[in-house]
Amino acid sequence: MQNNVTNSVEPTAWSEVAPAQSEFRRVIRVFFSRKIAVVGLVLIVLLVITAIFAPWLAPYPPNDIDMANTLAKPSGDHWLGTDNLGRDVLSRIIYGARTSLIIAVGATAMSVVLGEILGLIAAYFGGIVFQIIMRFIDALMAVPMLLVALIMASLLGGGVKNVILALGVGMLSVHARMMCAQALSVKQNDYILAARSMGMGDMRMMIQEIVPNAFPALVVVATVGLGAVILAEAGLSFLGVGVMPPYPAWGKMISDGYKYILSNPALAFSPGIAIMLVVFGFNMMGDGLRDALDPRLRGVV
Amino acid sequence: MSVLLDVKNLRTHFHTHRGLVKAVDGVSFHINEKEIVGLVGESGCGKSVSMLSVMQLIAIPPGKIVSGSAMFDGHDLLKYKPKGDEMRAIRGAKIAMIFQEPMTSLNPVLTIARQVTETLELHLKMDTQTARKRAVELLKLVGIPEAESRLDNYPHQFSGGMRQRVMIAIALSCNPKILIADEPTTAVDVTTQAQLLELMQEMVNRFNTSLVIVTHNLGVVARYADRIYVMYAGRIVESGLSEDIFLRPLHPYTIGLLKSVPQLGQTKSDRELVPISGLPPNLIDMPQNCAFLPRCSYHKERCRLEPWPELHAVGAQHYVSCYVDTRETS
Repeated sequence: MQNNVTNSVEPTAWSEVAPAQSEFRRVIRVFFSRKIAVVGLVLIVLLVITAIFAPWLAPYPPNDIDMANTLAKPSGDHWLGTDNLGRDVLSRIIYGARTSLIIAVGATAMSVVLGEILGLIAAYFGGIVFQIIMRFIDALMAVPMLLVALIMASLLGGGVKNVILALGVGMLSVHARMMCAQALSVKQNDYILAARSMGMGDMRMMIQEIVPNAFPALVVVATVGLGAVILAEAGLSFLGVGVMPPYPAWGKMISDGYKYILSNPALAFSPGIAIMLVVFGFNMMGDGLRDALDPRLRGVV
Repeated sequence: MSVLLDVKNLRTHFHTHRGLVKAVDGVSFHINEKEIVGLVGESGCGKSVSMLSVMQLIAIPPGKIVSGSAMFDGHDLLKYKPKGDEMRAIRGAKIAMIFQEPMTSLNPVLTIARQVTETLELHLKMDTQTARKRAVELLKLVGIPEAESRLDNYPHQFSGGMRQRVMIAIALSCNPKILIADEPTTAVDVTTQAQLLELMQEMVNRFNTSLVIVTHNLGVVARYADRIYVMYAGRIVESGLSEDIFLRPLHPYTIGLLKSVPQLGQTKSDRELVPISGLPPNLIDMPQNCAFLPRCSYHKERCRLEPWPELHAVGAQHYVSCYVDTRETS
């Protein structure tokens, strides 16, 4: 009888091991528990798919001029109508996704890589190095990004490459300052001193100790930055210093279409809505990532 | 018994906007081979700064090592550039450190394996496979169960005591000559404290390492240390073998410290604890005379008129810096 009792209440082996769960799976789980983040992700996935498969998805080539059928209202043949040169608006929006994505990824990659290196070096070495780099970044920041891009675009001319360059420089300060702030705060941690006390060199300290700990913030800012670049690119194209015609770009389509906003609103509104959805998507995804990557939640949620 | 590390007249000052802080002001100490040394003093007396100065881990600015030498292996460590290759070859390989907060001393985004193998690859030039094998051995040695599988865990999956064990494993991984433990047990509970100290003692015996325990806890050093340095306001006020310090304390500050700690086997009338009155001095703009003077119950006219006394020998290895012979007064 007594034996029975002991058997039934036998304690499970106590262990210090926290439930095994990989960090990656936790991030995924938290991210997908946020509905709005998933909406953002879906929008971005749609954008990427559209950009990659544009030739198959678009009903017409984007630059096919049909002078007999200009400014057509939306119909079965042309779902979003045609523009003043008779080009299919839907096809141009689909190809425009390509332009937006290439520029967004290119400019963000450039500004993230350069900005983060500058910010990291400034924060890590401090002193005079910090002053030189960060004052330069401050000067860059004092000029609005669109103005920097405008100056660069008017100096170099339009075209995808130059727009990437212009927006990359424009976004530089955002990423440099973010990384600098992150690195300065990470640098204060005990494990940095501990790593130094074990004889680690500057390079390893920066790449292995500081960058991974700043990474969550880096990802979030880069994601939101993608949206900002798309918006800025649309602005540049709208002003006529962005992507050169006949290359399809959403900003240019709005500036071409707004003249007909009363007679054929689809011309200006459809690229506008495309921009809005994509920027919204990037922002929501960034929000979701911020929640999922928050280091304070590590090991908790 | 040969001297491993000989620090002479170390001065580390910090420039703050409120004035010059002489955190370490003329400290000399040495560490012998295979010896456990205790460095005792209250918060802010310069214990940690002395140790960080020897390792050249002080942030410059605001800190500055003003003078002094630290002879180790025939070289003066303080002559090396703080970020130079020579200094880095010492850190971790010859002199290793353990810090106070086990919860924050490990990088949260790297696995334990990465952090243990790191130093092995860096100093001993081991390849990944060998380093990993060695890491498992080290973790077993410091008493981590299922070391093999725990290796791929992240720090947050370990308890505080376990993390400190990992820190000990990392610190000893390259078989250093000296292990500096900066308040190694302050942040863990009492039972874990005892386990960790036992472990450290066992480890330094096994690795033939000298251990420096920096602490404010006299109980910690009483049991383990061979020799003790007592620091106050950036200076060493008394040093000696553990028996000297605990059985024949001479400096009023050491006497005060011992009176403020409960001891077993005291009679009822002795049991009352006597705290040291007053507060530790502000290290900015210190007076020339003894910094302990305002709190000292033994002080004489001479203490007020003359500068802080130098350490003088009162026994074979027993030194004290006080004008008053406290044995007469009591």
